[in-house]
Amino acid sequence: MSTLAEQIFSSDEKDILQEVMNIAFGQATAELAEVIDIFVILSVPYIRVIKGSDLPGYLLKEMDGSPVVNLIEQNFIGKFSGQALLIFPSGAEKELIKLFNQENEAEAYGVDIDTLERETLIEVGNILIGACIGKITELLKDFVTYDPPRLLIQDLSKSTPSQFPIDKDSFAISIRTVFRFEQQNVEGYLFLITRQHSVQWLKKALQTFLESFM
Amino acid sequence: MIFAQIFDTINNGLLVIDREMTVKYWNRWMAMHSGISVEKIVGTSLFSHFPELDRPNFRRNCKSVFQFGNFCYFSQRLHKYIFPMQAQGSLADTFDYMQQSCSIGPLRNQNNEIEMLYISIQDVTEVVSYQKKLISMNNTDMLTGVYNRNYMESHLSKEIERCRRYDHTMSLLMIDVDLFKTINDSYGHPCGDYALKTICERILANIRKSDSLIRYGGDEFCIIMPETTGKDAYRVAEIVRRSICDRPFTFGGDTFSTTISVGVAAYNRDNDDVESMLKKADDALYCAKQSGRNSVT
Repeated sequence: MSTLAEQIFSSDEKDILQEVMNIAFGQATAELAEVIDIFVILSVPYIRVIKGSDLPGYLLKEMDGSPVVNLIEQNFIGKFSGQALLIFPSGAEKELIKLFNQENEAEAYGVDIDTLERETLIEVGNILIGACIGKITELLKDFVTYDPPRLLIQDLSKSTPSQFPIDKDSFAISIRTVFRFEQQNVEGYLFLITRQHSVQWLKKALQTFLESFM
Repeated sequence: MIFAQIFDTINNGLLVIDREMTVKYWNRWMAMHSGISVEKIVGTSLFSHFPELDRPNFRRNCKSVFQFGNFCYFSQRLHKYIFPMQAQGSLADTFDYMQQSCSIGPLRNQNNEIEMLYISIQDVTEVVSYQKKLISMNNTDMLTGVYNRNYMESHLSKEIERCRRYDHTMSLLMIDVDLFKTINDSYGHPCGDYALKTICERILANIRKSDSLIRYGGDEFCIIMPETTGKDAYRVAEIVRRSICDRPFTFGGDTFSTTISVGVAAYNRDNDDVESMLKKADDALYCAKQSGRNSVT
């Protein structure tokens, strides 16, 4: 996998990319606390380049023994385009409902608990994904638009590449961050998947970013 | 010029608000469906016209769009609607309010700073009404109008799960019409259909709204009774049994009588799941049949 990364990015470019992600996620952490009134800790992002077909296996390994997950998928499009995958282990939805004080909303809206769980995952996912991508693209002077997020409940151990919502011939720059909500013990993983056609732009944007400091 | 025309003629609600939640633009669709004119709302606070919007969930999503420039979605599945407006045409009979799918997105100024956001509202009442019809068709027995077996499979497991989680009680009645075949054979199938429908009506008249009557098979029914002990369920079963045998049935000049046998099963927290509940009720029904029919076990 490292060879694939070396083919695509020079070691300088990889360093800048890592730096951009560090800054972006740092800002996202601070601003998320303000927006959702909940302190979120985003871990230092870990960047890898992976073939699309290897991704399900890679995710399964990353999820460390809990193959059934809630996967929130959202496409974004701009000069930097791709797909965000936010993964919560199964069961996290109940914690999120408590965390976001949505407990009474099911009754208020007259919906069943399943719908509330699904919609809470989607809403929280949308904000977390928007925060991270928004900050990355802002640093790189791009503005993206998004598709509505979709929730897939998946058993990673059973999903074959063809069922996985990723084009298997593409490759993925996987940017993994673990985030933790301070008050509740909920962990999630965020992966940003970009395709080949974003890479040329990304390389240029990284260069511009670096030059702005010189 | 062109965009201004689209803004006012598009078949969607569109409005623009600033960081103070002051309405900056309000399209004709919004004016038409809310009954609030452009002159009246532009320049005033959105919350002063729609106080129900001033809640954490809505504010959180607006904040997120201002802060991160992302898009937020208010799905009909959860929210039903954001702006209370009347449903259109005949749909107004079934829906209190127009069902809406809403999204919020950022609007940037020349310096790329987000100054305002737009809210778009799509009327999805018709789609929701089709969904409701499909769901109901999928769960309803066409002949009698009561729930079908498909409904039971999902509903019973949910009820059992609820009992387990909250330590509640529930009971299950399994009902079989005694010698139903003889009604079909003696008076014809239309009469058999009539008997099934009438049996359902009589059962429904004697159970609560929260109980679910299900046509389980040809002449087999079951009733899921939440929050009901075995003793109470037995009492209801007796009332239901008597409502069938006490009064004769009349169809096309023929008068006949029929009876039912009922098996009662009460949920036991320690070891019951869907299969065991069904088996217990089935076994009880078998005993009722064995003891000479027209009885409850």
